[in-house]
Order: sequence, then structure tokens, then C-alpha cells
Amino acid sequence: MAFTITCPVCGIRRGYEFRFGGEDKGPMPPEESLASETWCEYVHMNNCIAGIQKEWWFHRDGCGSWFTIYRDTTTNQQVENR
Amino acid sequence: MKRLNQLPTFRIQYGKELSVNFGQKRCRGLEGDTIASALYANDVRIFGRSLKYHRPRGLYSLDGECSNTMMAVDGIPNVRAENTPAVDGMNIKAQNVFGKTPDFDMMRFMDELSWAMPAGFYYQTLHKPSRIWPLAIKHIRKAAGLGILSPDFHMRGKFDESYISTDVCVIGGGPAGMCAALSAADQGLRVVLLENRPWLGGYFEYRPREYQKGVPLYQRARELAESVGHTPNIRTFKNTAMIGSYHNNLITAFQRGNKSDIFTERYLEIRAGSVVVATGCIERPLLFENNERPGVMQIGCAHRLARNWGLLPGKRAAFSVGHDLGLEAAIDLADLGLDIACVADIRQDSYDSNLAAELEKRNIPFLPGWVAIRAHGSKTVNAVTLSSINATRRRKLSCDTVVASAGMTPVTGPVILPGGKLTYDNHTGFFLPATIPPQMHVAGRLLGLDDPFAIETSGLLAGLKAAADCGKPVENNLKEMAKNQATLPGPTRGTKLVTGPVKGKETFICFDEDCTLKNINQAMHRGFDVPELIKRFTSAGTGPGQGGIPGHNLPMYVAETGESPDRNPKPTTVRPPLVPVYLATYAGSNHDMSKRTPMHDSQVKAGGKMERIGVWNRARRFSSDTSARKEIENVRNNVGLLDGSTLGKFRIFGSDALKALQRVYVSDMSKVAEGKVKYSAMCNEDGCLMDDGIVVKIDENDYYMTASTGRAGQTIEWIRYHTRYDGWNFHMVNLTDAYGVINMAGPNARKVLEKVTDADVSNEAFPFAGYREFLIQNMPVRAMRLGFVGELSYELHVLSSYMQSIWDLLEITGKEFGIQKFGLEAQNILRMEKGHVIIGSESEQRTTIHDLGLGFLWYRNKPEAKTVGAFALKDTEHQKGRLKLVGFKMKESGTRVPKDGSPLVDSRIRGYVCTARYSWALKEPIGMALVDDDLCGEGTTLNIYEDGCKGKLLSAKVVSMPFYDPDGKQMRC
Amino acid sequence: MRLKSNSNINGRLWGWDPPLKSSYDAVIIGGGLHGLATAYFLARHHGMSRVAVIEKRYIGFGGSGRNTAIVRANQRTQENLPLYKEALEMWPVLTRELDFNLMFYNCGNLNLAHSEAALKAMRLQVASAQIYGIQSQLVDPEQCKTLIPALDISDRPRYPIYGGMYHPPGGIVRHDAVVWGLAKGAARKGIHIHQGTEVTGIGVKNQKIVSVETDKGKINTSRVLNAAGGYSAALSYQMLGIRLPISVLTIQAMVTQPLKPLLNHVVSSGAYHCYANQTLKGEIATGAHMDPWPNYTNQSTARYIKHQAEAVTEFLPCLKGVKFMRIWGGLADMTPDMAPIIYGNDPIKGYYIDCGWGYFGFKSCLVTGKYMAKFMADGTCPNILKPFTLRRFEQHRLMGETAAVVNYSPDN
Ligand SMILES: Cc1cc2nc3c(=O)[nH]c(=O)nc-3n(C[C@H](O)[C@H](O)[C@H](O)COP(=O)(O)OP(=O)(O)OC[C@H]3O[C@@H](n4cnc5c(N)ncnc54)[C@H](O)[C@@H]3O)c2cc1C
Ligand SMILES: [Zn+2]
Repeated sequence: MAFTITCPVCGIRRGYEFRFGGEDKGPMPPEESLASETWCEYVHMNNCIAGIQKEWWFHRDGCGSWFTIYRDTTTNQQVENR
Repeated sequence: MKRLNQLPTFRIQYGKELSVNFGQKRCRGLEGDTIASALYANDVRIFGRSLKYHRPRGLYSLDGECSNTMMAVDGIPNVRAENTPAVDGMNIKAQNVFGKTPDFDMMRFMDELSWAMPAGFYYQTLHKPSRIWPLAIKHIRKAAGLGILSPDFHMRGKFDESYISTDVCVIGGGPAGMCAALSAADQGLRVVLLENRPWLGGYFEYRPREYQKGVPLYQRARELAESVGHTPNIRTFKNTAMIGSYHNNLITAFQRGNKSDIFTERYLEIRAGSVVVATGCIERPLLFENNERPGVMQIGCAHRLARNWGLLPGKRAAFSVGHDLGLEAAIDLADLGLDIACVADIRQDSYDSNLAAELEKRNIPFLPGWVAIRAHGSKTVNAVTLSSINATRRRKLSCDTVVASAGMTPVTGPVILPGGKLTYDNHTGFFLPATIPPQMHVAGRLLGLDDPFAIETSGLLAGLKAAADCGKPVENNLKEMAKNQATLPGPTRGTKLVTGPVKGKETFICFDEDCTLKNINQAMHRGFDVPELIKRFTSAGTGPGQGGIPGHNLPMYVAETGESPDRNPKPTTVRPPLVPVYLATYAGSNHDMSKRTPMHDSQVKAGGKMERIGVWNRARRFSSDTSARKEIENVRNNVGLLDGSTLGKFRIFGSDALKALQRVYVSDMSKVAEGKVKYSAMCNEDGCLMDDGIVVKIDENDYYMTASTGRAGQTIEWIRYHTRYDGWNFHMVNLTDAYGVINMAGPNARKVLEKVTDADVSNEAFPFAGYREFLIQNMPVRAMRLGFVGELSYELHVLSSYMQSIWDLLEITGKEFGIQKFGLEAQNILRMEKGHVIIGSESEQRTTIHDLGLGFLWYRNKPEAKTVGAFALKDTEHQKGRLKLVGFKMKESGTRVPKDGSPLVDSRIRGYVCTARYSWALKEPIGMALVDDDLCGEGTTLNIYEDGCKGKLLSAKVVSMPFYDPDGKQMRC
Repeated sequence: MRLKSNSNINGRLWGWDPPLKSSYDAVIIGGGLHGLATAYFLARHHGMSRVAVIEKRYIGFGGSGRNTAIVRANQRTQENLPLYKEALEMWPVLTRELDFNLMFYNCGNLNLAHSEAALKAMRLQVASAQIYGIQSQLVDPEQCKTLIPALDISDRPRYPIYGGMYHPPGGIVRHDAVVWGLAKGAARKGIHIHQGTEVTGIGVKNQKIVSVETDKGKINTSRVLNAAGGYSAALSYQMLGIRLPISVLTIQAMVTQPLKPLLNHVVSSGAYHCYANQTLKGEIATGAHMDPWPNYTNQSTARYIKHQAEAVTEFLPCLKGVKFMRIWGGLADMTPDMAPIIYGNDPIKGYYIDCGWGYFGFKSCLVTGKYMAKFMADGTCPNILKPFTLRRFEQHRLMGETAAVVNYSPDN
């Protein structure tokens, strides 16, 4: 596995320049609406999809931006879109 | 042994002699010899002993397919003699030999005991009675393994690494590979060509057979190699083994250096736009009794031994083959002077009849439909028994060489590793790539092609496909070339036979692991019915040569027996590295990447004991006294200087900068006042402490902030992560390396500062928690009054380039006030006396700011921005059963300091000591501990269990913090 | 059903291929160590043998057939210590019980410290182990060198050796042997092991498990154990909508060519992120790190094998003269606190979870199987497993097995 990621700013780069930032779960629900269980669902729980998922990456050794991509977790390849 | 007269295919140089030592024996060789060819020339036939049964092993292949010729060379174990160049003066030893020479091995009786060791022997025995197992382990360990490595072995040589970006990477420098490289290069692309052997030419390189009228194949190979050499946009790496192939066309390889190279070996990582795999075939071993006895060898081995190194493999050879290459080799070797007893061919027909006629011309008996079933001779071969495939007839012939090969098998590793899939192809009998990863193409013999023009054309075609991947408009050329290919012969029909009519006992399917067909049968009878499990149970294919020998035959054999649920043969998994690689080579230059502060050199010069802390080198102490007492007392009594440059430093600005700060810091950051520093903490979503630092307001919507040393690398990422959905307008600049930090602390600190600046630094003008910018001799500094160590102190943030000057100035000026450097150990104790925490030292992954007594930092009513961790902080504010940070002193005076990390116990573990030291200020031991919350009341007894104390506990009691100057007078004065 | 004419059924280690019945008392998803051990103990201790183990490929296909089988009991917290202590004591017992040599090689483990902070962390671990009657001691650099003569204890390495933690009762086991031995034991007790069978759904009625769907047919059952290793979280979410706090990463390991005895103990180093030990076959097995992003590929990476060579030769420089011959990967189901999730009957009655083992699932398999079987037989969680509840995450009570922030969470 030596996959590449296409950064929206810098273009196609080696995967190791980036850092994984979790599944895309949308913004945190407002605090007032949360109970411990729903907070935990948002913060800790994952879908762990074996297939294509939308997820966050950070270009650590590059432009320093967070962005989302779609990636197939079974092949570890970035894919166009769902 | 006499070498042949000069041939145009020689790789040795007459007249350039060398010698190597094989045990006691001195062996003469020639420049260009491999270790194996040099030894062979000196009549060495037994190169080592096998792993389990100590059977003699000899030269069988030449490209490292098996491990028969692994030897110890100059103290390095497991060196493959067959493809390692001989160097004058080398010391070579046979391996796994119990005795003086490999010709005589005291463990050879193991061979007779093989009946007692069925497949999975260890699993099913040696545990009854249980006490014999530990004894058995000792013997197993001694018997296992081949080479010996000394624990103080030192690897000599230079190891380098290189990262190459190219348009096209071609793996394999045979005719197909060279043609692919040439056709891609012809399109103006940059090409990298990798070849494992020291020369290009592959399948053509040593063969005298005609390519075109008057042009033998070897000459054609040299012509192609020359064209490649003359093409400037082809970069050729010879002596280079491709070892890994990964997604998105990342190829790894390593190159063995020549005498003229600056490296011994070098690791290569190549990122290519397109990859052509032209790795050809290796031979598929023929399985018969004693099929690995010295004297038995593959076709290519026998042929190249003569053609490249001028050595006939023996005096009289019997051939048992399944491919025209065998016939061709027999003819050529006969012409070179080898007596050929016969050529048995697995194939009843479908051999090249011209070759058969040539054999006949030379009076060499040709036996289609026959196969070797047993080699005779106890150490080396002295005869062979052949049988007709249908087992009706047999013949025994005397000979000293058996050239044996069942057919060919393609080298598909480079295609499979990045996700290509193989299926069994009935015509060729090969496992061929059914799916190939994107931007990868295959060419040449690996497809089953044998015709020289077909091979070359497939290479040209692959090169064009690669060019198309790289965006070249080559549709027409592609069409043309494909048309050409269609007119040329396609893949040859291959043999499928794995074994003749033999019993499985001494028929070795895997040489490295001494695994016989009988072992495979045993495994299948035990219910291991898929090749992958058989491999695990019998170890076949898990030795140093990996799948090189059994890779093709094992799944074929299993499919043939019909034991497997799956009648479609499936190859076992191939894993990198495709060729074994020295750890030294992978490690490469092993460059140490660490950071130094602007004060590094002068700290080292001053006797600083440097340590690696994360990415940084920092000074722990400035004397050999581990307690750092002098440094500590000097800060308390006079003034000290600490290099704090590793602190993370950032500028954050923009119209939404404040919102971002509000998000990540737990405090109300709108309260950051001009000219003041604000201390706060960052939590994760669990409310646990991630970082702390200060923020100052430099201007409207413009802030300067610090992060702890260990966290600085992630601060920008962190802030951006927690605002990623918001689209806020702010920017961050990492100033960590742009600024150095001097922490000047101690009662005399102001006296020193006053002397070097015109600015008013009196307590009134620049009070505690204040922030000022001023000049020190025209050099701008950002100064803050902080109290980490609990004394009057100034943290001076100075542009890195001015650091040395300002530091020196302070040291010179401060001399009269007793200024001294201090290091991290002193700081550690000073801050502990103040009850200040260090993240990771007083906190764990699960420690909240409430647990640390820092809950007061949390401001719960931020109007606009929610705070990271706020929900958990609310939830855990009054939660019971958490570990809390407390200070402690020893119950009885005179008790020594407990060791860091010691647990606190009653009937169970109740917490542990985080940091404890003798306090010179308080003249007694003090410490901080994380304890169960029911124990954190002042005066509670803590029983400390130190490792090795055997139940003798130390007694401490909880006290309030800070220990030193609880009212903070010292730092505010 | 496949019954082979030409092979001896009794000779087969885990018997014949049983027919898939339409109902079982319990269905275990995953023919890994945890599934097989639970099945074995259900039959052995609780008389439950109408149990099916459903394995989509072959037994040991997952982490169980890919790990480096290091076993030890010197964990960090008191919730873990008794569990791992018992686990360590079970290898010889099960070898006898299963009449199959699990090849427990009691060579002891040496863990190196490369800083004061690491020594402090070790002191906590050593003393905690001693409190629980587990042999463990701190050793100085010279003692480290005596244990492992190949160590470089000079100042030369990037992170010089400050000392170590020596744990004599640990060692290595033969992972395949445990898989096969447990399968043999379970099959002999009547458990059905269905290889090549994939669970495709789980039937729930009124918050109770009623069935399991497989690609070979439906099974009625009231109890199901999710022991699908790396696939457990995906399975739980897809089939039941129950999400787990898991990140699935590929963890890699590799071996060198076999050598005569060189390392007499397992040696590991936190600072260099690696461990090394010599197997009974003579190979030096080494591994530990992983690429910190979730994936199901099982693939190894170019970066990692290089990293490993750089790291291990820093403190064992003689290994520069050895060759790597094979690297592989396996899935590791990592949790935010590096401790497993063992849970059941909530929110669905009859649904049990045993996953999140990350890279600790080998050493724990026997003991977990034993207590998990009890859990499934009685329906109540044994005390020793209670700390591993799924609810700890919402209660803000992460376990302290790792003190530091893990590198695959958004926190790092
Ligand atoms: C390289 C590596 C090194 C390791 N080293 C160690 C070590 O030294 N010490 C240690 O203690 N641990 C180690 N581990 C961890 C250990 O191997 C695992 O934690 C352990 O094997 C987990 O066992 P399991 O039974 O839970 O899961 P697995 O062994 O992964 O078994 C799960 C099984 O479920 C099957 N499955 C999945 N989905 C389905 C479905 N839908 N239907 C049917 N079947 C399904 C899979 O095919 C698989 O066989 C290591 C792991 C790896 C990868
Ligand atoms: Zn970028």
C-alpha cells in the first residue's frame, strides 16, 4: 500500500504527507441537545464501513488544510465520489 | 576443474585471478565469478546441509530461487553464493554443518529419522509428558536456523537510499523489458529499467540459438543492451532486485554496488506513471526422489554455468525436462563437450522437432514421455532412474549430473503485490494475471511466449501502453503493434506434470524446509485441505527462498490429489520482499532527524547533558549531579537561565481568530487583555488535558500564543480540525522555529534585565502576568512575566537569530548577580514545588482538567462558540471514582523520596506517584500523585509500594499544594 | 456437505465438515481464537455443544493466523492484570487438555526504557505486577545486555538504553497451533465449525436475537457472539446498527531468514515502536507499528518495512547483517483506550461482543474464551470481564492501559 491522496490545494501527493482525521460525521450537535449516549455516538463511535466512506484528512507536510475525500477502505484507494 | 575455452558469452575474465577461502581450502577463481561458480570450479559440490535432515545440498539454480547455496561469507550468514560476486580474500563457510566440512555431517542420521517426523510433528508430540517440552525447545532451537550471527557482528559498508520519480518503470532487463524501455523512451518519456543480474539480456543473453540468420540470441541481447545504453532517457539499474510493488505504482528495489559505486547496497523507491512487468519465468522444479541431491540442477543453471562461467556441470549428464530449453541446452552442452546420457521429456509430443533431430544427429537418446523418478548416490549423484510416465518401463543410467525441470513458471510477484489476481491458465499451465492493477502492463515470457520476435513485440507493445498511460498520443502505434503481435506465435503450451510415478518419501517439494510430498499428503489427511493451510502446517514455502521452489507445484499437486474442496488450483500468497534484503539496506542511511535550538552548541559547550525529547535535543542538567541541586538553589537564591526555545509559538489572526481560540481553549478568551498574558488549557472531547499555554493580544484580531513542546507540531492541525465545519476566517503561522525563548528566573532577574534594556521593567510598569515588547540593544523582544518555576521570572521571546547575542549579554551582565544556566531537571523540581503539572507526567490520556484541579480554567457560558470538551467537563465535574492529582509529603521525617511511578495501595491499587523529589527549598521529600478521589482529602495516608519492596510500604500523607510559596509572593514581587 | 472418500475422518484434526443445521443454541461469528476458544469452553464447562462457529474463509484467517504470538501478563492496570495472569497460566494447561502442543516457549520478555519517563512508567507496571503476584522486575542496562548480548547499550543509539523491565513468565506461543488445537478440542466436543461460510445478517425480534443469516442458509438461535476480529465493528453496524468505538488498522509484522539462536528473550522498545523475538524456527520476528488510518486491506507498506529495519538495528545493530524475508499485515480492531470491548445483552438480548483487541488479542484468547463462555451460558457478565464494558466510553471512564494519547485518534 503506498497510496496517494489528492489535496484540493496541492494536488496528488504521497499518502504519508497526510494525517487521517476520522469518518465524516458532520458538525457536533449542539451541546444542549446531547445526552451522554448521543455525545458518545458522535465522539467515539464509528461506522467502520468496509467500502467507500467519506472521511477527513489533513495535509500535514503540505498546505495545512483539512478536507474530505472518499476512500475505499477495502482497497485503500481514493475514489472520485460515491 | 578446467574451464572451457573463451566463449563470447563469458562473464569471467581470463587472466584476472582471485582466490577465496572455503573453510580451510583455498579456491582460485576469476574476475566475474560468483562465489558459487568459483567454488564449483574448484570441485566443490556440497555447499551446505539442509535444515532438518542435514542432507547435502548443492548448486541447483543461479538466481536465488532456492537456498541450497546459502553460506556464511565474512561473518554474514545466509549469503546466496549463487548470485553473490566472488571477491578476492573472502572467507566462506558452509552452513548447518556439524563437522569440519559439508562433505561429512555428524547429523546426517537425521535423514534416516525422517519417518519419525511427519508433517506437524511438533504439534502432535513433545508435549507428553509436559516436562519434556522445555528440554525439547533447547534442542529444537539449536537445530533450527541455518546461519550463525554473532551478537557483536558489525556490518561494514555504506548503505544509501534514493527516491526516484519517473514516467515509466520497467521491471526486468530481458528482451521484453529492454524493448518496452526503448519504445517508451522513444516517445520522449523518462524510463527506469531494473535488472537483477549484473547485465541486461535475460532469456537471450547466454543462448547461441539463432535469432535471425547469422545472429545468435546472445548477440541480439547485446545489441539491445547497447541501444538501451545509448538512450539517454533510459536510466538502467543493473544488479538491482525489485522487492516490492505497491498501489499507485510505487516500486521498491535495492541495488548491489559495484567496486566503483559509493555504496555497498542502496535502497530505491520509484514512483512511476506506468509500470511494465517483464520479469519472465523461472523453472518449475521436477519432483522425484532425491530431487535435490548435489548434481541435480535446473536447465538454466547447467547451461549458464557453461556459457557464462566456462564450467561444464559434470562429466555425464542425464536430462529430464519438460521444455524446449532443455533440449536446446543439451545440444549446446554436448557441443561444448558434455557427455549426455539421454534427454527424457515429459512431453509425448509438442516439443520442437528440429531440436529432437539435432539430438539425434548427436546420437543423444531422446525419450519423449519419460521422466526421472529417482536420483542415486549418497552425497552426490551417481545415477538416475527414469520411468515412462505411465510407469510401465524403467531405466537406470549412470551419470554425475541430472538436469531436471518440469517446465516454466512465470514471475508474477510484481503484479500480485499491488492487487493483481491470478487464475490458472490451462494452455500454458501458468498462473497468469487475470486482473492487472491500473497503469501496469505485462510483457514477454511471463505470458508464456517463447518466440523471440513475439517476446520483443510484446515488450514494444507494453512500452507503448505505458506511454499512453503517461498521456502520449500513441493510439495508431498501438494498433499497429497489436497487429504485429497477432501475426507472431502466441504462448507455448506448457506442461502440467508435477511428479512422475514416485513415492513421496524423499521427494522434496520444498528444499528450504525439507518438506516432502509425503508431508503434504500427511497434512491433507489431517484435514488441511487448502494450500494456504498446508503451507502453514508443513512449513513448505516459508523458508528463506519463500515460494521460489514450491510456489507453483504445491497448489498443482493439491489440486491433482483432489483432496482440496476447490478443484481450481490457487497459488499461495506472495509477500514482499520478493528477494530477501539486508536490514542494513532497508535502514539505508538511517538519517537522524532531530531539531536543535539556537542555543544548542553553547549549551553543549557549557557541559549540558543533552537528551532527545520528542523531536528536540534539550539539556537536562549542567553537571554530573543528577539532583541538579546547585541549579535549583541558584534559581531560588539568585537567577537562572533556561533555554525554552522548544516551546510552540504561533500567531493566529483574522476576523474570526477569537472564535477559534474560544473553541479550543476552555477559558473565556474574550478576556484576553492588551498587555496581559492569559493562561489556559485545551481539552479533547473527553475533557482531558491536551495542552496548556498562554495567549497574548498583539493587535485587534491578532494573537500570539504558545503550546507545550510536545504538542507544537499538532497545534495548527488541532485548531483547524475543531473549526473544520465552520468556515471561519482566521490564519495561523507557526513561529516555533522563528523565535527562541529564554526563561530568566530568580529574585535577581529584574536586576539583570534592567541593565540590558532602557524599558521600564519595574514591578509597577511590568507586573506579574504582564506582556511587553521592548528592545534589548536594538534587538526586539517579546517579554512575559510568568511563574512556572515560582520565582520572579521573565520569559523572553527572541528572534532565533538574536538568541545567542541576547543570551550572552544576559550571562555577562548577570554575572555579578550570580546568573547560572539551568536545565530540565532543575525546572522539573522547581515547578513541582509550585504544584504545576507537566502533561504526560501528571496526567494520562484519561485525566480531565477537573482531575488536575484546573477546573477553574473552564468558563461554561461562552455565548458564541461551543468549547471542545465542554460536554464531558460538565458530565465529569462531580463524577465519583476518578483519579485526582494531589500533593504529598512523607509521613515520617527522614524517609527517603519514593520512586516515580510507584503505585499506592491498600487492598488494591489506589493510584501512583507521578513525580517525587527531595525539595531543597522545603528540606524534605515532596511529590505529586494521581489517587482515587476518596483519598484526596488533606492528611489522608498514602501507602507507597515500590517495585521490589516485598510488601514493605512507604507512608506518605496528602498535603495541599503548592508546596513552595503558596501565596505566590515570590513570582509577583 | 463434503465428505471425503479417500481420507480418514478420524485422522482429521477437526473432524468432518458438519452439515449446517437450521438451529443452534449459540452461533459464534468468526473462527478466530476468540470465537474458537469461546466455543470450546461453552462445550467443556457449560455442556453446550449445539454451537456453531461460522467462519467466512478458513479458521485462523484473521488476526489469529497473522500475529506474532507474544504473550505476557505485565499489563498496566489492575483491571487487566488478573485476566492476563490467568491467561498466561493457561497455555500449559490447554496443551494438556487439548492434547496438542501449543508450543508455549517461556523465554521471558524484556521491555527497554529509553528515557527517565519510560523508566517511571515501567516502575508502575513492574510494581503493579508484583502486587498481583506476577513476576516482573526492573533491570539496568548491563543486565539488559546480559539478557540480550546483541543489545547496544552504549551512547551511540538515538535513544540510548536507560534500563528495562524483565518479565520472566512471558514468551511466545505458536499461533497456528492454538487455532488448530482449539478447533480440534471444540470439534471433538461436538461443536460445528463451518469454514467457507459467511454471516450475512442477524435476525432480531423484540430486541432479542432470533437468527443468523449465512450465505449457506439461515440458522435459528437466541445467542450470537460477534468475534469477527477486524470485521466486528463493520458487522455490528451493518447488521444491527450498533456502532462501536473501533478503528480498524492494518498492523504489520515481518520475519528475517532463520538463524541459529541469537535472541533468548522477546525484546521490545516503546521509543522505537518495535519488538523482536526469535521464533523456534530461528527467524527474528519483528513488528509493532502501523499506518494510522483505517483500512481492511491486510496489505503491508513500503514505509513500514524500512522503518522497522531502521528502528530494530538501532538497538540490535548486529541485525544489519540479516535479511528480511517476509512481511505481512493483519487487521487490528483498535479502541480509543487500547482495551477490548466485552459486552452482552444490551441493547439486544442475546447479542454478545468480544472485540477491540487491537494487538492484545492473542495473549488473552484462552482466558477470554473461558469467561465469555460463562457469560453466554449464564447471561450475566463475570466480574473479571466487567471493566471492559462498552458503556465506559459514554461514562468518560477510559481504561488506563495506555497512558499516552493513541496515534489513530483525532486527538493526535
Ligand atoms: C501482525 C499482527 C501481530 C500481532 N501480534 C500479537 C501479539 O504478539 N500478541 C497478541 O496478544 N496479539 C497480537 N496480535 C493481535 C491478535 O492477533 C488479535 O487480536 C487476535 O487474533 C484477534 O482474534 P479474534 O479471534 O478476535 O479475531 P480474528 O482472528 O481476526 O478472527 C475473526 C474471524 O472472523 C471471520 N469473519 C469476519 N467476518 C465474518 C463474517 N461475516 N462471517 C463469518 N466469519 C467472519 C474472519 O474471517 C476471521 O477469521 C497481532 C495481530 C497482528 C495482525
Ligand atoms: Zn495540500
